[in-house]
Amino acid sequence: MTSASDLAWLIPVLPMLGAALVGLGLISFNRTVNRLRKPVAIFLISCVGAAAVLSYAALIEQLAAPPPTEVLFNWASAGSFNLQMGFRVDALGAVMLALVTTIALLVMVYSDGYMAHDKSYVRFFTYLALFSSSMLGLVISPNLLEIYVFWELVGMCSYLLVGFWYDRDGAANAAQKAFVVNRVGDFGLLLGILGLFWATGSFGFEEIGLRLGEALNNGSVSHPAAVILCLLVFMGPMAKSAQFPLHVWLPDAMEGPTPISALIHAATMVAAGVFLVARLQPIYIQFDEVQAFIAVIGTVTCFLGASIALTQMDLKKGLAYSTVSQLGYMVLAMGCGAPVAGMFHLVTHAFFKAMLFLCSGSVIHAMEEVVGHEPVLAQDMRLMGGLRRFMPVTAITFLIGCVAISGIPPLAGFWSKDEILGQAFNAFPLLWAVGFLTAGMTAFYMFRLYFLTFEGPFRGSDVALQARLLAAAGKGAAEPEGHGEHASQPHESGWQMAAPLAILAVPSVLIGLLGTPWHSRFAGLLDPHEAAEMAEQFSWAGFLPLAGASVAISISGITVAVLAYALHKLDLATAVASRFPSINAFLANKWYLDAINERIFVQGSRKLARQVLEVDAKVVDGVVNLTGLLTLGSGEGLKYFETGRAQFYALIVFGGVIALVVLFSSF
Amino acid sequence: MPLDFAVVQGPLEVLGTDHAWAFPWLSVSILFPIVAALLIPFIPDPGNGKTIRWYALGVALVTFLVTVGAYLNGYDPSVAGLQLIERVEWLPDLGLAWSVGADGLSMPLILLTSFITALAVLAAWPVTFKPRLFFFLILAMDGGQIAVFAVQDMLLFFLAWELELLPVYLLLAIWGAKKRQYAATKFILYTAGGSVFILLAALAMGFFGGGTPNFEFTVLAAKEFPARFQLIAYAGLLIAFGVKLPIVPLHTWLPDAHGEATAPVHMLLAGILLKMGGYALLRFNVQLLPEAHAQFAPLLVVLGVVNIIYAALTSFAQRNLKRKIAYSSISHMGFVLIGIGSFSALGTSGAMLQMVSHGLIGASLFFLVGATYDRTHTLQLDEMGGVGQKMRKMFALWTICSLASLALPGMSGFVSELMVFVGFVNSEAYSLSFRIVMAALAAVGVILTPIYLLSMLREIFFGKENPELASHNELVDAEPREIYVISCLLVPIIGIGLYPRLVTDSYRASIEALVLREDAAMARVLGPAPSGLIRGSQTQPVSWMPSALLQAPSVG
Repeated sequence: MTSASDLAWLIPVLPMLGAALVGLGLISFNRTVNRLRKPVAIFLISCVGAAAVLSYAALIEQLAAPPPTEVLFNWASAGSFNLQMGFRVDALGAVMLALVTTIALLVMVYSDGYMAHDKSYVRFFTYLALFSSSMLGLVISPNLLEIYVFWELVGMCSYLLVGFWYDRDGAANAAQKAFVVNRVGDFGLLLGILGLFWATGSFGFEEIGLRLGEALNNGSVSHPAAVILCLLVFMGPMAKSAQFPLHVWLPDAMEGPTPISALIHAATMVAAGVFLVARLQPIYIQFDEVQAFIAVIGTVTCFLGASIALTQMDLKKGLAYSTVSQLGYMVLAMGCGAPVAGMFHLVTHAFFKAMLFLCSGSVIHAMEEVVGHEPVLAQDMRLMGGLRRFMPVTAITFLIGCVAISGIPPLAGFWSKDEILGQAFNAFPLLWAVGFLTAGMTAFYMFRLYFLTFEGPFRGSDVALQARLLAAAGKGAAEPEGHGEHASQPHESGWQMAAPLAILAVPSVLIGLLGTPWHSRFAGLLDPHEAAEMAEQFSWAGFLPLAGASVAISISGITVAVLAYALHKLDLATAVASRFPSINAFLANKWYLDAINERIFVQGSRKLARQVLEVDAKVVDGVVNLTGLLTLGSGEGLKYFETGRAQFYALIVFGGVIALVVLFSSF
Repeated sequence: MPLDFAVVQGPLEVLGTDHAWAFPWLSVSILFPIVAALLIPFIPDPGNGKTIRWYALGVALVTFLVTVGAYLNGYDPSVAGLQLIERVEWLPDLGLAWSVGADGLSMPLILLTSFITALAVLAAWPVTFKPRLFFFLILAMDGGQIAVFAVQDMLLFFLAWELELLPVYLLLAIWGAKKRQYAATKFILYTAGGSVFILLAALAMGFFGGGTPNFEFTVLAAKEFPARFQLIAYAGLLIAFGVKLPIVPLHTWLPDAHGEATAPVHMLLAGILLKMGGYALLRFNVQLLPEAHAQFAPLLVVLGVVNIIYAALTSFAQRNLKRKIAYSSISHMGFVLIGIGSFSALGTSGAMLQMVSHGLIGASLFFLVGATYDRTHTLQLDEMGGVGQKMRKMFALWTICSLASLALPGMSGFVSELMVFVGFVNSEAYSLSFRIVMAALAAVGVILTPIYLLSMLREIFFGKENPELASHNELVDAEPREIYVISCLLVPIIGIGLYPRLVTDSYRASIEALVLREDAAMARVLGPAPSGLIRGSQTQPVSWMPSALLQAPSVG
């Protein structure tokens, strides 16, 4: 009997076929296919659904801890080289498969509601299926080469989806920025992969690790060279998982539709970097410098994301920086040599952050009824407030997400984040301190988001404030839109949107219990050896102080948020912001990284390109034209070479050639 | 001669004796379109060119079928040597013979030529100005270009090379845009100037060694040219083919020619003409002058890297759509140069695949440029913007082709660039530092290519609709004919991307034989332990070739 693992290749292929079919239909019979909204949606959802069923079957098989399934074929070959492709299913892959298909499925159901009024509904579903397929392909890739292939494909899907509303300038710029910044990371990844292949003759994860160790021992590859290769490869995850300083694309990518932010830019694609680092652990584990570098980058990112999130007024941007920060935690875990902890946080975060984003989508959807389809208004928390009364399901699930991410037991975030902090405490105490501080900031900004959005009075109908916000965004006065009257108050979203929120709330609350330090089923699945060790070393005396401290700092963060935004006892604007204006400006301007980026890289590359073009046109081509001018001696140059003469000249050249041949043949 | 040459000739004789008379596939595919083109003046046509169009399309399709027939019936991909040989004495005194044949270097390009030409005829549907002459020239070019790839005699090659200039010249000069005279003249001066070197090299090589001059490739390959002779001939040929490929700084004819040509001519220029340069480099410089190649190869790699970066930057700054894409062609041809200079089967195979792949992708992009121009009547990016709202299918096609061009995995460009990279990095012919620097610089192209292609898309299609453009032009979406042309190009692009062996296996044997020849020449020229910054010292052989590599890598 064939096992689910043997059929795993079908998991990415099914959604790919679905997407290809609908895509072809869209190009060939645009009108017809665009009208078949529900059938297309149901078809693509069932493709992803079938993939989900297979994924869960594969996951269940992995519970019995079988050896990894790996199937390879020669994809390209020349000389003695064979570039191979195939698929591989092991515990790590199976967990990701189940995670990706689950969230993709829920997001697709949600999108049916969210995108209901969009004229490109079918195109959106096609892209979603295409993305799911690419992401699933990445997860089951057996080697670095294939990872690179799907790595690029998910990047492309992200480009297409961020730029989905291509008539918006913001979306267009963000899509391009996302792709280019990711390519910067891919530059390193590609060189790193090539280098590792040179050094070890292999693209496989364990094999590279093994052979690199051998090569180091017999001196054929020097230690610094190996470290550089590892760091080059790490550039890929840095870009994809939005690590400092390549995180700049992720907040901008929020221009895409919100379901995309939930699926791609919170739960799955951005986690691909972390996943790759986990896959590469057999290699990285050999180099302390690399591990320390990864840990430091993770910590910096984690702190940076949380600090910027403190001042964001845009609901989605706030969540985006929170994602950056949480990805930093995962990378920190990888750097501490605790891939299981990092992966566990990846899984828990995927659930609660997807839920939070979908909640924000629900809020934006509701706000659009009041303020119109203008992202500057619909996403600004200054116009929200009091939404809990209008949309209770969204508010409650958002609150669950806030508690989960803040690390309050027994919700999911507590177990995974605490695990990472515990590992960091043992490996890099200084980094632990930063991560610990960040946990407090996380709790504060998440509850700030909650209170600003869902509590207090509703401020959405304040026309003067709307005008002020538009002016600040440089958009001018609100254009009268053709939608007629705006509603005076928002409404709860339909079942397609509310149901995924409710479903996601369940794992957000409970999934952490799978990873309790004294009996971690999650670790038992990924690395039974480590799980046993963890359980053995576990002691309440070691666990309670650290966990207690984490909970304490989270609660203090929440308390500040409650005092400031719910009870209004504490005016942070006067207490902090006006007292330290430079810090406030520093945070509000996102550490000035976008400005530096724009000044140096964007303007710099434009200037360089213009100069090269100038040289090309004036110097290189100038020499050519000058030569032409001199040899022809016409005094007018090539540019004025008129009709008849040029053809005449061509005939002479051609005739001359024929004459030469005839001449030679008469020898 | 090195031993491998005997292997190359082995199957040749077998073919010759077993098949006393075989259908002359190659001669037919060369002569049929030319003869059919000569009949165009006698075709009754009401005046709008409708009959001519269908006639030309039919001829181009039959030619394509003949080349496919040649591939299926007379070509065995597992044989390294020459196949489908047809030889008729022409001018025996001169040693000139009608000698055609195909091996792995030429067969894919012959197929590419007839394929792209058929699509170009379909792309030329809107041409109504002097249709007889136009389609006559296109068909004549079809035969001429197949001849360039198929002939096995250097003098004949030179003739075919020159013969193909005339149609291109006229196509540029009569159907081009505003600056067409300038562009056409520049093109012909450049190419004719370069061709002088081919003629000189051909004569020198043919007469070398005394006796009856003979220009047949097999004979030339068997001659042992002295080192200095090889270097001079190599340099001359490099200039000639460097103009065609083109190699920076010999490229300035290309943006002008491409900028002025109409879409179908454009497809032919980018799809096939540039490949003549790469093919000729492999055929003459590498195969006939391997020892000079061993010395020149580092230069090729450096020039390739210069091509990639220089042209990508110029493309980024270009405001004219056609010129932007033209420079992107130059950038992509850089990978061909690196592959040719890589001294590895994988890299050379990648160069070959890059030629095929760029032929397809370049043709599709240039076709789209033409189709867009038909609607917007401008090529200036500043005058476009927001076009995507009315032309959604066009937007989709543009996006797919641009992604193919920036080497997205799953499409052919990615595979060929990857093969060049992996082949070059693992090449034993260069020192580690040279390989690192060159690979890192070439990889900068990985960042630059999306920058110029995506910002191009951004400026044409994204954002708010340009009111000026929308008020003056009717932006109709892509019509079925256009979608069909692009789909025809996308099928092989994606097919190769998914399973590259579809194409690479068809020339694998030839490339491997070629690389063996290169390696043997390299060993003769540089000796067993070369030193220096580029060639690297082999004093610590272990450090350049880790032991793991010496076993064939099995598990990926």
